[in-house]
Amino acid sequence: MSLSEFWDYLVLGVMLGSLYAVIAIGYTLVYGVLQLINFAHSEVFMMGGYGSLIVLTLIDPGDNPSVAMGVVLVTVALLAGALFGGATAYGLEKVAYRPLRRRGASRLIFLITAIGASFFLYNLAGKLFGRDPKSLPDMYDNKNLFSVLGAEINITEMLQLSAAVVMMIGLDLLVNRTKMGKAIRAVAQDAEVAGLMGVDIDKVISRTFVIGGVLGGVAGFLFANLNQVKFDMGFLPGITAFAAAVVGGIGNVRGAMLGGLLLGITETLTVPLFGEEWRYVAGFVVLILVLMFRPTGILGERLGRAA
Amino acid sequence: MRNKMMRKFATPLAVGAIGAMALTGCSSDSGGEDGTYKIAFQGPLSGDNVALGENMQEGVQLAIDEANAKGDLDFKLEYVAADDQGLPDKATTAAQKVIDDEGVVAVVGPAFSGPTFASSPAYAEAGLVTVSPSATNPDITKEENEYTSFLRGVANDNQQGAAWAKYLSKKLGLKKVYVIDDKTDYGKGLAKVTEKGLKDAGVSVVRKSVPQKSPDYSATAQDVVNSKADGLVYAGYYQDLSPFAKKLKEAGYKGVGISGDGSKDDKFIELAGDSSENWYLTCACTDATVEESTKAFSDAYQKKFKRPPGTYSAESYDITNMIIQEIKKLEGEVDREGLREALRKATYKGLTKEFSFQENGEFKGENVYLYQVKSGKIGYMGEVNSLIG
Repeated sequence: MSLSEFWDYLVLGVMLGSLYAVIAIGYTLVYGVLQLINFAHSEVFMMGGYGSLIVLTLIDPGDNPSVAMGVVLVTVALLAGALFGGATAYGLEKVAYRPLRRRGASRLIFLITAIGASFFLYNLAGKLFGRDPKSLPDMYDNKNLFSVLGAEINITEMLQLSAAVVMMIGLDLLVNRTKMGKAIRAVAQDAEVAGLMGVDIDKVISRTFVIGGVLGGVAGFLFANLNQVKFDMGFLPGITAFAAAVVGGIGNVRGAMLGGLLLGITETLTVPLFGEEWRYVAGFVVLILVLMFRPTGILGERLGRAA
Repeated sequence: MRNKMMRKFATPLAVGAIGAMALTGCSSDSGGEDGTYKIAFQGPLSGDNVALGENMQEGVQLAIDEANAKGDLDFKLEYVAADDQGLPDKATTAAQKVIDDEGVVAVVGPAFSGPTFASSPAYAEAGLVTVSPSATNPDITKEENEYTSFLRGVANDNQQGAAWAKYLSKKLGLKKVYVIDDKTDYGKGLAKVTEKGLKDAGVSVVRKSVPQKSPDYSATAQDVVNSKADGLVYAGYYQDLSPFAKKLKEAGYKGVGISGDGSKDDKFIELAGDSSENWYLTCACTDATVEESTKAFSDAYQKKFKRPPGTYSAESYDITNMIIQEIKKLEGEVDREGLREALRKATYKGLTKEFSFQENGEFKGENVYLYQVKSGKIGYMGEVNSLIG
């Protein structure tokens, strides 16, 4: 692999990694406040993909949308993904997890419920939308915009990267600088005491789900734009993003970002070096290596505190 | 219906279910009427793949109706449908139903390879011949299977791979080809044969596997471009080829692309859009609406079923006529095993191709047909060998 080829793959790896990072944040946020691995998050992601597909199909942009129309379409599709993702996550918390929390169910029951909800949602999607893959309608002509050290960056890649970066910065500010972020961190540290101090725990947990869901939904749209929409599209990216959250140190938002990028780059570089079939092997070898030397993940020393 | 019966008998647990199954199994047993021979078709007539099954069923029906209407037979022909939904677990029941019907002397089908594996042992035991117009898995005819009643009326997957290699090396004169399989049995088998064929023709080959459902085809697309290959073989299905084709176009791949019957579906064009343009696709099936030799068939089909013939309609029609020809030759002495042996040795010049079989039931010819996506449509080009010339 020559240096210029290396750059090509590195750029692709950062693109994929930023997507994993955005999904991983959803796992890590929920883990922070509930100590729950929300396996249904992959379905929140999937619903985001369908949300954007449905809205774009309704608009029906035709064959060659103009540039202005393209901007509108991307914005609308992104918002639709966010809305569907957020709504799914909200519903999930309300219907599946809140009743369990009220009854003080054990963690194992939460976990099984999460897996059950995941199965339910993706089969429901298969039933409602069909089990065939679908492509998003063309929103723009995917031209190369510019090149970085010989690696061409096209519109899809730029969109993916910028959306991910904006969301990650926004989330980081939200968690660290706002009152809501403070409440989330408080619940993550010690829900009971936070409750005694006047924090509405239910509301905070619900909002945390919605934030994670919005990010997951937008990621669903970005993934659909990169690949295609399918009822089981959440499974593999979901598992990988969960691994990314663990690599980074679950419960830690910056860790999730770092883990996502690390896995995305590792996976992508694996393709030219060993072949696509080793993609997940390499990703999970990284997971094991990191956990061998740092069982809490790369940034995991702040475990138990969201962000 | 089975549920209703169970409720009526109110027999608890499995006893009821077994009883009901036995009842439905026996009820179709009608016995051979004098001078009437039944030809069955086994394939998906309900479920996800019903469209494929109907294409073939109508070809069979047309052949039977035409033969009856002609009036030169001293026997009558009857059609029997056996629905296996294209699923292996439904195939044994479907086959048993056909076998229990003593009037049935031959079966067209099974349509799919999975059901063929599941039902062939029963057909072998019953000595009832099955001639499939469309089951292309190469392993079906392996000796150790002992599917002694199976005859294949179509080029198998390996022959498709060989055709790719021939077309890319001889006709297009490519120097370096990137061969990808999708890690399914189908894809791996195809890719292996293609790789060998290309290497024998002196073409250098980059061989890779990309398992189905890769989250991101960009890296592989980039690898194809970096390899400087002037041809790409994708042995897999359209679900995966579609996003891959898009990424190839974005990565700036300008070479030739070819894939097989797993991708020869309008869905490929729907999903991949512009990126599907110029992709070559092959199939062991001809396009009966275009070929000169099947024009009359196509018109008759259109007239009877109010739609043009589909994939494998014409082949099913041919196979049915071949069976009828052999029944005629036996002159009243028709039993299942006799007809099976007659068919095994028979040669029939059909509308689509010549049908004859090897000792193990394998199809003798290597008729693979080439298509290419042009302006958003899968356009028919013709038989690969004749295109190479």
